[in-house]
Amino acid sequence: MAKRRTRSGKTDSSRVPQVDRKPPWAIVYYEALDGSTPALEFLDGCPGKIDAEFVAVLDAVAAAPPPQFSGGGKWEAMHGSMGGWHEIRLTGPGREQFRLFCVLENAADGELLRRGLTKPAIAVVTGMRKPWRTKFSETDYSRVRRLGDEHKANHPRRIAR
Amino acid sequence: MSGELVLHSWRIFYATVSEMASNRMSSMNLLDTSVHERRRAQRMEDPEFRDAYERATREIEQTDQIIRALDELRVDLGLSKAELARRINRNASSIRRLFTASSARPELPLIAAIADALGAEIRVVPKVRAAKRRPPRRREPAAA
Repeated sequence: MAKRRTRSGKTDSSRVPQVDRKPPWAIVYYEALDGSTPALEFLDGCPGKIDAEFVAVLDAVAAAPPPQFSGGGKWEAMHGSMGGWHEIRLTGPGREQFRLFCVLENAADGELLRRGLTKPAIAVVTGMRKPWRTKFSETDYSRVRRLGDEHKANHPRRIAR
Repeated sequence: MSGELVLHSWRIFYATVSEMASNRMSSMNLLDTSVHERRRAQRMEDPEFRDAYERATREIEQTDQIIRALDELRVDLGLSKAELARRINRNASSIRRLFTASSARPELPLIAAIADALGAEIRVVPKVRAAKRRPPRRREPAAA
């Protein structure tokens, strides 16, 4: 971001927000209009070991963000109607399937600042769980996308504090 | 003379408004993104969570290091992903997906095939603490 000139004509970068692109990226949690945070509520409801594993994968990906390989094979780019999304896929007790849905907040400096971010971030939107060998319905995915659209419409973003 | 005064006043006004706008951006629009760190720190107070987190981190690091080491070796050898894919009879997109983490759970046979094509091999090295294994239990001599 360009440095700003003060009244005295000297450049002053101290008050101009700067974008820091060095990893780790930030990890933020979408907050809905009603103040709820679906991803945090999902994590709080997971078995402790699954919660810990989700946090470990998020930390690993934030430390070595895309496009490099990261997340131990549990972080995956989604396709089809969920293109542009990433998910963390974990298997819990009784082979129950746990998924955490994320979008990447990475853009030009000005746009990141407009979103209220001083560094690129992983925005964790929501999570879902399902029994082994079952599928999420398109309605389930459209609900996830709706939350993501709501998140992306906010400037600055609404995130858990 | 009065024209210069107007221009000077305008500059002061412009500088003040710009400064106010910048201060507003610094103080109002930038978000506190520390909730993840705070939640992790709080959850780590639970020993079960801490153990699971540390074990998961070790496992993730091992997988990530292997994949990244193979990709670095490929680059050092000047091999494109497509060429590597040809050498192991795989689709180029599967290799591209593997090295960019867009494909989850890389399969060991694929990893072994890539390592072999790059003139490398995957090894399992015992950790230091594994060396401190208990000695095998000696059988008691049968009672006479």
